[in-house]
Amino acid sequence: MVDPNSVNPVFESPITSTNSGSAGTSIGTSADQAALTLADESSLTKTLIRAEPRTKAERQLDVVFGASRLVDGVVISGQRPSEWLVIGEANDVSTFVDRIDREGHVSLVDHTHSRAMMRLTGLDASRVLEKVCSLDWSSEMTPNGAVVSASVAKVGCDIVRNDTFRHGSALASSAPTEVIPPSYWIACDRSFAQYLFDAILDAGQEFGLLPA
Amino acid sequence: MSGEFKPSRLGPQSGEVIDRSATIRFTWDSKVMTGFAGDTIASALMANGVRIVSRSMKYHRPRGYMTADYWDPNGFVQVGDDPNVRSGHRLLEPGMTIDPQNVWPSLDHDVKAANGFVGRFLTAGFYYKTFIRPQRLWPAFEKVLSTFAPGGTVDLDTPHRLHDKRYAHPDVVVAGGGPAGMAAAIAAAEAGARVMLVEHEHHLGGHLLWGSDEDRALAAKMRDAADVAGVEILTDSTVTGRYEDNWVSIVQRNHPLAVERLIKARATSLVVAPGLIERPYVFAGNDKPGVMLSGAVRRMINMYAVKPGSRAVVLTANADGDAAVADLRDVGVEVARVVDARAGENVASANGPGRTVESVTLGDGTSIDCDLLVTAVGWTAPTSLLNMAADRPVYDATAARFFPGGPIDTVLSTGGLTGDGTVEQLVEHGRATGRLAAERSAVAKHRIQAHTARAAPVSGDEPAWPHDLRAALGRDPHPELFRSTTHGIVDFSEDVSSKDLVGAAAEGFDSVELLKRFTTATMGPSQGKLETVNTVAVLAEARGETIEEVGTTVWRPPYAPITLGALAGRIFEPVRVSSIQPWHEANGAVDILAGAWKRPEHYGDPAAEVMNTRTNVGIIDVTPLGKLDLQGPDVPKLLSQLYTNKWMQLPVGSVRYGIMCAEDGVVLDDGVTARLGDEHYLMTTTSSGAATIWEWAENWLQTEHPEWQVHVTPVTTGLCSINIAGPNSRTLLGRLCPDIDLDPDAFPYMHVRTGTVAGVDDCIAWRIGFTGELSYEIHVPSGYGLHVWNALLDAGADLGIKPFGLEAQRIMRLEKGHFIVGQDTDGLTKAPSTGLAPLIKLDKDDFAGKAELGWALDEFASAESKAPRLVAIQPTDPTVVPHEASQIVRAGTNEILGRITSSRMSPTLGRSICLGQVAIDAAAPGTMLTIVLADGTRTTAEVMARHAHFDPEGERLRG
Repeated sequence: MVDPNSVNPVFESPITSTNSGSAGTSIGTSADQAALTLADESSLTKTLIRAEPRTKAERQLDVVFGASRLVDGVVISGQRPSEWLVIGEANDVSTFVDRIDREGHVSLVDHTHSRAMMRLTGLDASRVLEKVCSLDWSSEMTPNGAVVSASVAKVGCDIVRNDTFRHGSALASSAPTEVIPPSYWIACDRSFAQYLFDAILDAGQEFGLLPA
Repeated sequence: MSGEFKPSRLGPQSGEVIDRSATIRFTWDSKVMTGFAGDTIASALMANGVRIVSRSMKYHRPRGYMTADYWDPNGFVQVGDDPNVRSGHRLLEPGMTIDPQNVWPSLDHDVKAANGFVGRFLTAGFYYKTFIRPQRLWPAFEKVLSTFAPGGTVDLDTPHRLHDKRYAHPDVVVAGGGPAGMAAAIAAAEAGARVMLVEHEHHLGGHLLWGSDEDRALAAKMRDAADVAGVEILTDSTVTGRYEDNWVSIVQRNHPLAVERLIKARATSLVVAPGLIERPYVFAGNDKPGVMLSGAVRRMINMYAVKPGSRAVVLTANADGDAAVADLRDVGVEVARVVDARAGENVASANGPGRTVESVTLGDGTSIDCDLLVTAVGWTAPTSLLNMAADRPVYDATAARFFPGGPIDTVLSTGGLTGDGTVEQLVEHGRATGRLAAERSAVAKHRIQAHTARAAPVSGDEPAWPHDLRAALGRDPHPELFRSTTHGIVDFSEDVSSKDLVGAAAEGFDSVELLKRFTTATMGPSQGKLETVNTVAVLAEARGETIEEVGTTVWRPPYAPITLGALAGRIFEPVRVSSIQPWHEANGAVDILAGAWKRPEHYGDPAAEVMNTRTNVGIIDVTPLGKLDLQGPDVPKLLSQLYTNKWMQLPVGSVRYGIMCAEDGVVLDDGVTARLGDEHYLMTTTSSGAATIWEWAENWLQTEHPEWQVHVTPVTTGLCSINIAGPNSRTLLGRLCPDIDLDPDAFPYMHVRTGTVAGVDDCIAWRIGFTGELSYEIHVPSGYGLHVWNALLDAGADLGIKPFGLEAQRIMRLEKGHFIVGQDTDGLTKAPSTGLAPLIKLDKDDFAGKAELGWALDEFASAESKAPRLVAIQPTDPTVVPHEASQIVRAGTNEILGRITSSRMSPTLGRSICLGQVAIDAAAPGTMLTIVLADGTRTTAEVMARHAHFDPEGERLRG
């Protein structure tokens, strides 16, 4: 007889990376140390908020479609009109989401388990993306903070260019921005995660892309 | 001339691109030879004395190098297992095995050359006319004629090589790396544009490379400047097409990792600077080895240090021909005669009883011994990329070539394509073009950026559109020289002669487009680069018209032929897996692909999996089941709109089954929806219908009822779904759910509860089933799916728990008589045919398909109804399992009454069972049907009273 209270659930990332073992159980920092890396950040908490125009929630979120911002340790990503993804550590997201006004037509769905998330970082990150996605990754068209939805290696993804903050805090704010390499969060349906991770790694081989 | 000349390697030349310190061994036609790094196959072969490199397509005439570059129609060879390699372009590599193509028994003695003796019968359209009748012999004709097909051989065992793909968004793409193209690229980059410079050949510089030392110095300087300016330089790459909005396709052939890479570039401006392509001259014997174009001779001498002949006649109509004379003399080739076309002189034929040129007959009848005839009679302007931007070239008789028709805003041209001039003039025109392209790109980018939500903000108003203030290049007069007084080959790739064209014109093919298709002129691998203008000129001459009146054929993509590998590029084949997949793979699951999902079909014995589930308890991973989270006060309205039954009063904690129909009443999907809270629902769809139903729901919300407050969010893979089925399922689940009361009264059939499963919070448990057993479907956050799966297996060890796969599930659902949308229904199956007419509630407000279903129900009730019925069927012989899709016919006839839609051997019942669609007059219970089996024999079967073959009263699932 199994004692239901004795079990200890462990979050399993959908991505098995050769360098990270059971990746996703913790967020590593080796991505910051290599020139071009792909890190599994699936374990970040993601909450989808949908709110109709002119609701208090919309004003609280204060991010337009196609943009993102860092606030109180979470990134608010304007994924689609009237739709935002709040990304961050569980406690930060929970705290933030609890403050969202529910007046009007507002809904929340926990996307932590629905969306896998990987971070592609490095000076050649956009060149890797050019091999798997048809969008223009130049800083004019996709600046830091930009949010897009696109097909990446034939998988529908939401991508946030997020150069300057990591894991809930700004990255070395004293560093000159020109030396901070571009960094992209790529979120996809969980079921595609391992395929996509492998496809991006394969595409990035010529630039020395490594799993973090 | 006596004795056949053999080309040879010259001493070092100041402009050579070969590295004499790097000797390369290779074989040609089984003979070992050597060349140098930097050699093309053509230059290496010529340096080894090879003059005949191929046989022509139709007549198998001996052919030698004519242009000695990418476009050479005579230079196709087999390199290892790689057929149709352009030897004028492909660089020599160590160990290459190079062979001639489509010759037998050898290049020197090819028996198919006998075609030449009957050549006068092989006129244009010969095949069309000769082999049209009798039609019954077409397969035989095909078999015989295919042996004459040109080209190399494909080894089907050749491993796939990597082809790659990338996207690019340069501000300016410059197609062509000659002086004007380089200048344009540098100027555009210096003006701040992101520039991609694409050169077809291996080196930037264009004709400067085989020009003077000063020319080469300029080319080198410009290459450096392009590097400094940050131009992305792609050599050995071709812009193969220009499409809407400057979508430009580029094939890169020299990528270090991939054999080819397709680049899909969205260029804000495109600069077309391909230079000019030297045109062959049409005269008798113009395809004999030893007849070369002036550019080919100059490339061979200056870039590859190859002596192309010992005694030459040069037909020249321009400065390039004159330069060829000088180059030949510089390397010790005797120039026996310069035939100056500008002075009215002409060449009538190239002669020789042997296979190569031995003499030339001039227009005045003079015969001159020689082993090399060089022609310089003008150029073709490769306006292809401009044509693809809707430009129609215009012929200028004074300059004897076509020019671009008119300006296009973001497609600019420069260089020889647009006019003549000194190198300095070409460079200046290129620079002006590059600046203009950059300025126009900046305006276009400003506009795009201002209208793109994610883009960085733009400053200021949109700049004014820059006008084209470039000074046009001049046009040098040039004699019109297309065909001599004799007939010769026009299309060297297809063996089409001027005589063929004249004959076709006489047959009435007076349009150049029709002439092209009838004769196949311009349709070979050269794609018109060498032969289009001559084709037009011969047709014009034959019809007594001008070239302007005849016009040209339209150049469509690709500019140069593309391999299928390049088009395929990097292959992406997404595969979806559930969070439990690692366990399936580690425990002997045999997978199938269902859509993009990889799923366990079984774990070795599906029949045993069925029996265990019916006896003990089984679990199946059903994560692919579509799941939609629905929130908002108007969810019941949406559900009522989508499903055919009623949804306004579904209590919290309840689950309801429904079918969805399209507007035409055809079954679209089915599934269950649970009410989790006052304004919170969870809908399940079929696995394959998940995306369709999400889109269907959004379509209703966004276009028909935007006033409804409903948020639909797909959560298919956010929730890992496990079905627990079998008599022991309640006991098993009870061991892992401390906060869900599983008592049948507290948690009855078709209800839903939320709670903790195996320590995982926020799980959803439905009491439903597809197998006919007492069963629960649990949905857990996917990150914990594998944990819950393992916990179930651990907790159920003493209950006989076993996993089961899709096949066992299919068997059990068929035993229970559940239909599968898309298998037991098709694109014509309306809801009443499935036996679910009671679920169609015409007394509710509008719903999808209501009108059509009303008519369908009336029609269904009619005695004359033609609508099929879905019925359960059992073969008389219980060991016979008809294949799915087997036809059901009326006994003793071939009249089709329907088909078997599902069939299996039932391990529970020990007999074969089926579902099938049959006509109304064969659908009554007890009706005996005749089924045509796969081997053509027939068997009988009985229509059953109910869909369920097993437990029709549902006692087990309600237990």
